Amino acid sequence: MTLHINQKRSLWWGISAVIILSGIISMVISWQNPNIKAPLRPGLDFIGGTRLQLVRDCNQPGNCDQPIDINVVREVAKEQGFADSSIQLISEDNRENNGITIRTKDLTTEERTQLQTALIEKVGAFDPQKNQIDSVGPTLGKELFRSGVLALVVAFIGITLYLSVRFQLDYAVFALVALFHDIFVTVGIFSILGLVAGIEVDSLFIVALLTITGFSVNDTVVIYDRIRENIKTHPQTPIAEIVDDAVNQTLSRSINTTLTTLLSLLAIFLFGGETLRFFSLALIIGFIAGAYSSIFIASTLLSWWRERTEKDTIETIDTAIGSEDS
Amino acid sequence: MQKQRSLLALIIVLVIAAITVIYTIPVPLGLDLRGGSQLTIQVKTTEDIQEITERELEAVQKVIEGRVNGLGVSEPVIQTVGTDKILVQLPGVNDPEQAERVLGGTAQLEFKAQKPDTDTQLLALRASQIELKDKQKELRKSNDQEAIEKNRAGLKNNNEALAELFESTDPPLTGKYLQDAQGESTQGTNWDVALRFDAKGGELFANLTKNLAGTGRTIGIFLDNELISSPGVPVEFAATGITGGRAVIQGSFTVEEANDLGVQLRGGALPVPVEIVERRTVGATLGKDSIKSSIYAAIGGLILVLIFMVAYYRLPGAIADVSLVVYSLFTWATFALLGVTLTLPGIAGFILSIGMAVDANVLIFERTREELRSGKSLYRSVESGFYRAFSSILDSNVTTWISCAALFWLGSGLVKGFALTLALGVGVSMFTAITCSRTLMFIAISNPAWRKTNLYCPNLQVVNKAEVAK
Repeated sequence: MTLHINQKRSLWWGISAVIILSGIISMVISWQNPNIKAPLRPGLDFIGGTRLQLVRDCNQPGNCDQPIDINVVREVAKEQGFADSSIQLISEDNRENNGITIRTKDLTTEERTQLQTALIEKVGAFDPQKNQIDSVGPTLGKELFRSGVLALVVAFIGITLYLSVRFQLDYAVFALVALFHDIFVTVGIFSILGLVAGIEVDSLFIVALLTITGFSVNDTVVIYDRIRENIKTHPQTPIAEIVDDAVNQTLSRSINTTLTTLLSLLAIFLFGGETLRFFSLALIIGFIAGAYSSIFIASTLLSWWRERTEKDTIETIDTAIGSEDS
Repeated sequence: MQKQRSLLALIIVLVIAAITVIYTIPVPLGLDLRGGSQLTIQVKTTEDIQEITERELEAVQKVIEGRVNGLGVSEPVIQTVGTDKILVQLPGVNDPEQAERVLGGTAQLEFKAQKPDTDTQLLALRASQIELKDKQKELRKSNDQEAIEKNRAGLKNNNEALAELFESTDPPLTGKYLQDAQGESTQGTNWDVALRFDAKGGELFANLTKNLAGTGRTIGIFLDNELISSPGVPVEFAATGITGGRAVIQGSFTVEEANDLGVQLRGGALPVPVEIVERRTVGATLGKDSIKSSIYAAIGGLILVLIFMVAYYRLPGAIADVSLVVYSLFTWATFALLGVTLTLPGIAGFILSIGMAVDANVLIFERTREELRSGKSLYRSVESGFYRAFSSILDSNVTTWISCAALFWLGSGLVKGFALTLALGVGVSMFTAITCSRTLMFIAISNPAWRKTNLYCPNLQVVNKAEVAK
């Protein structure tokens, strides 16, 4: 299989543009949505609130005979003054609808205990060994968000500096473009998922973005490395051809590495439990975007840029070749 | 060959050492895996104390530590986070509400004077207070929320009634004047609690005790509006009160009682309010389920990758598989040695690093195949495969480390765990790829039976060099 990526540059750029644009549109819609008011549906970690996950204790006789009725839970929440909380039933212990997840505003210990007591009365006793209670104050949420974004920015700067030292500034800039591409694709798809499936992003999502950053650059660097090597060995070959060759020479590596990493991620996605599911999903999306962008975006942009700028410097190359001939 | 042999011996020694480490030092599990409560407590500023310095934070941490110890939790973790937060981890706590109440309330300590002619009421209320508290302890074991709540309401009424019997001095003698309080052993098994006030507090305390001495009325020591002690003042202090800012509460306390009271008093001396800004509680069984599914994920991921490598890269793939297993052992042993606390994101970082550890091997083998296709000998191909892949491996790992460093410095608790495990994993993977894989490869190609190029690159077609250049 040989790819001529530079022949259809506009097609590759177009595909990315369409995906990123739909993500941006979804972000705008989310922002307008009074229930979300942000580009992505922010989770507990960022806006604060309380999430209770309670599972009934099936060791008590008769406690789990009937599946939990979500309307009863809604009624209880309403009575306690948390009508606007979001309630979901979950299946635990191989029983349908045996547990509940309730998302509310940040509750005090007293409010929470009251809610739990009221629920026990109506729904049945819960197993405290299976409770999961998360409560994040709104100020802390903002801090988590700020430190997460700061970590992203610092990582960007660090990577750009490193690449400009190891390669050249234009390589670094296009690696950064590819990086933003991957981040935008992932964020955009999660924004869409937030709209249609109610998926929220938490601080693990920022971790995922940072990991995608590392992986994306990683992938781009391997191709760049090859481009640099090919330029050295064949200085007279046009840049588009050099880039095409480099991409093809590293293609099976790109595919195989992405594949093995995706295999690990798929394992986390399937077996890793609730907490890690969307984390691994974000990584899966980001890594696929990363493999795509390093092949079709970072490399094609580099050859496009060099073609444009090298017209000015062609004379120096000519003289260099000329001196070699003589 | 001699060099390869000694490297192989070194790797075998390291593997044995790693297995021993894994066997003897367990990796501590995070709360999300073992169950328990994690609270982040923020120290708030007040008008008097407008900036939280390290000193205040340390003082509050000490108080929180005292409160945590009062909870009777084993292996608690209390650490400061950033400039104004304290992270408390309480493994295995099944009663997070109590922990939150004890840790999160702003302690308000006040010394009050008993009102005249309230002796009989005080005695009766004190007795029922003790009774209700004991009952509460019993009820907590039973998990009967309704009865607990009822009892708590009773306690609250009782406390309010007790508060009625006392009045504040003018100006009130509050915890801010109290500098220290601690249990002190006297003769035999009896313990006292020694108090120390600052200058202003000593003056107020002298006034208070002067008024009460010999009247049979007591000092009511209130913490969060709950009467925690009501010592009397002997008649000999009627003239001047207890002066000098030092006092001792004598009550034939046991060690625990004296220490408890000391801790409570010190907690009340806390100069700044605190607020719990984050609570995360995971039930113990839920944590166990998470461990189980994470281990499935780790093993599943590893097996899928191992199968893929052999299927695609043949003999080198099998060698990569050996180094991947060695890699997993080394990384796990490193976690154990460094005392990395394993959390869910940490496990994810580990699994991910398995996927990424393959990358170094893939880069090398792809390079080797290329060299083989261009007509080089097997030995030369393997050698330059390792040599020429190195700069790519280094560059790609450095960029991952940069991300990890950013996460580690700026991230919060869970995030740090992920960054650390991923960074360690990437480091170890680089080591195993260029030592373990390399050594095994050279040993393999020194064996004539394993020197068939088909084992390294199936359907090899040597391409003429000139054609490549075209």
